[in-house]
Amino acid sequence: MRKLSWPLWLTSGLLYVFLYAPIVVVIVYSFNSARHGGPWRGFTWQWYATLLDNQDKLAAARNTLVLGGLSTLVSTLLGTGLGYGLSRYQFPGKRFFSFLMYIPVVIPDIVMAVAMLMFYSQVRQWLGFLELGMTTMVLAHVTFQIPFVAIVVRSRMVGMDQSIEEAAHDLGATSLQTFLHVTLPLILPAVVAGGMLAFTLSLDDFVVSFFTTGPGASTLPILIYASVKRGITPDINALSSVIILISVIGTVLPMLLQRPAKHRGDT
Amino acid sequence: MRHALKSLALAVVAALALSACSKQEAPPAPAAAAPAPVAAKEPCTLNVFIWSEYMDPEIIKAFEQKYSCKVTIDLYEDNESMIAKLQGGGTSLYDIVVPGNYVVAAMVKLDLLAPLRKENIPNLKNLDDKFVSPAYDRDNKYTAAYQWGTVGIYTRKKPGQAVDETWGLLFDPKAKPGAFLMMDSIREMMGSALKYKGYSVNTTDQKQLKEAADLLAAAKKRSQGFEGGVGGKNKVLAKAVKAAVVYNGDAVKGTKDDPETYYFVPREGGVIWVDNLAIPSKAPHRETAEKFIDFILDPKVGAQLSDFNQYATPNKAARALVNADDGKNPAIYPPPEMMAKLEFVEDLGEQNRLFDEIWTMVKSK
Repeated sequence: MRKLSWPLWLTSGLLYVFLYAPIVVVIVYSFNSARHGGPWRGFTWQWYATLLDNQDKLAAARNTLVLGGLSTLVSTLLGTGLGYGLSRYQFPGKRFFSFLMYIPVVIPDIVMAVAMLMFYSQVRQWLGFLELGMTTMVLAHVTFQIPFVAIVVRSRMVGMDQSIEEAAHDLGATSLQTFLHVTLPLILPAVVAGGMLAFTLSLDDFVVSFFTTGPGASTLPILIYASVKRGITPDINALSSVIILISVIGTVLPMLLQRPAKHRGDT
Repeated sequence: MRHALKSLALAVVAALALSACSKQEAPPAPAAAAPAPVAAKEPCTLNVFIWSEYMDPEIIKAFEQKYSCKVTIDLYEDNESMIAKLQGGGTSLYDIVVPGNYVVAAMVKLDLLAPLRKENIPNLKNLDDKFVSPAYDRDNKYTAAYQWGTVGIYTRKKPGQAVDETWGLLFDPKAKPGAFLMMDSIREMMGSALKYKGYSVNTTDQKQLKEAADLLAAAKKRSQGFEGGVGGKNKVLAKAVKAAVVYNGDAVKGTKDDPETYYFVPREGGVIWVDNLAIPSKAPHRETAEKFIDFILDPKVGAQLSDFNQYATPNKAARALVNADDGKNPAIYPPPEMMAKLEFVEDLGEQNRLFDEIWTMVKSK
C-alpha cells in the first residue's frame, strides 16, 4: 500500500476537523453550567441529571426510537421485496414502477410533508380514520424510506451472480427456499445497510414528522427545532451527546460482531 | 411574534388554503362556528400547542392536579407553521394554541378559531385595559392575551458612559455602535425603522415605507446581518457583537447572566407584541380548554407564568403579584410615557405584500 503524502494528510485532517468539530462543541457544551448558552461558565453534570427528570424530552426520545424502529422494520421488509422484485422479475409497467420509486428520493421534504398532510385530512374527512399521530407518522416515514432500501438492495442484486440462484433451482429448491437460503444471505449486507439508512433518515427527519404528527407524538427533531429560536437549553446538548454516544456504539458494535459471524459462516 | 416569514411556510399555508377552499364546497362543515360537541365522559385531556420554553411546567402540573387532567404539550416555532398545521386538520387535534397578535385576524378569517364562551372564563375580567378588546380581536371574541413584550436594543454598557437610547444606533450612519445585529423578522425591523422616522409601524404609505426600507438596506450593509430569536442575545453575551435587536424577554434573561449588558426600547418607541391563548375551531376538549384559559388568567398563576418567562403579564390582577424585581424592571414593564409610544403590529391584510416585498429587497441587497 502507498503511504499518504503530507498534503493529503493535512487536507484530510482539516476535513475531519471541519466535520467533527461541531459535534465536539455540542458535547463540550453539554457540560457548560451557563443556563442560557453563550460563554463557558464551568463544568457541570447537572444537565444530564435534569434530563432524567424531563418527561417531555424523554417522551420525545422514546417517540423517536419507536418511530424509527417501526418504520425501519416495515420499510426494510417492503423495500427489500421491491428491490428484489424489480431486479428479478419481468412484469408490465416495470419501468414505470422503477421510475415511481425515485420520486420520494428526489421530491423536496416539504412538498412530501404537505402532500401527506392533505392526504390524511382527506381520508379523515371521507373515511373517518387516520387521526394524526404516531400511526400517520410511521406511514409517512415508511413512504420515504422504502425507495432508499429498495435502491440499495437492487444495486446489490445487480452485482450478484444469477447463476447461483439458477443452480439452487436446478437442485430442486422452490422460489421461496432459494430466496431464504441463497439470495437473502447474499444480499443481507445490503438489507442491513438499507435498513440503517432508513433508520437514519427517520431519526433525522423534521419536516415530514412535524406535519404528520399529532398531540403527544413529538419527536426529538421537532423538539430540538422548536427550541432553536428560543435558545437551545443545555439539556438538549446533553440529550444530543447521549444520542451521539448511542449512534457510535450502534455503528461500532455491528462491525465488531461481524468478524466472528464470518467464521461461523455457512448456515 | 417571532415572525419568520419563511417562503416555505408561506407556500405551505397557500397550498393548504387552496385545498381548504376546494374542500369547503363538498361536505358542509357545521362544527366550525357552532358550539363544538361536548366531549364525552372520557378521562380529562388537554392538548396544548405552544412555543418552546413558554410555559412553566409547574403550572401544567397544578392544572393537571386541580382538574385531574392529562395535559399534552406540543411545540411549534413560528406562527406560520402552526397555522399550516391547523389547516391540515390540526383544528381537531389541539385545544389550545398561542398565536401572535398579527395572525389572529387571518386565523379567524380562515375559520381556525372557536369563539370564546365568556361565561366559562370569568377570569377574563382580570385582563388589563390595553388587552381588553384589542384592535386585532375586538371584544376578545377569540383570544385572551397570554404574554406581551417589546422589541429593543440589547447592548453592553461602557462603565460611566450613558448609551444614547435611539434607533439611530442602527439607522444613523454616523452612530458607531460597533458590530451589531438586526432581528430576522420583517415587521419588527420595519417597525423600528418606521418609528425612527416618526411614522406608524402599520403605515401603508408608499413613501414612508420606501424611506424605512432604504434605512434598513443601508443599515444591513453596516451590520453583521440578521439573526433570529435568541441568536442576537447570545452573540452580545459572547461578546461577538456589541449590540443586537432582540425581544425583551430574551434580553432580561441575558442581563441575569451578565449584568454589564443592558436592554432598552429606543426613545422613538417601537413594536409591542402580544401572544394569545385561543381555541382551535374543532378542538376536541373545548370546555377543558376554557377551564385552562381561565386557570392561566388567575392572578396567582398569571404572576407565576410571568416570573417563569420574564415577559410581561397582560393580567392586571397578576401585575401586583409578580416577582418584585421584574415588576420594577423597565425592560419588562415599560414606563407609561414609553407605553404611549408603543404600537401593536397589525395584520394589514392585502397590504402585507408590501412588507414582504421590502423584506425580500432588503435581504437580497
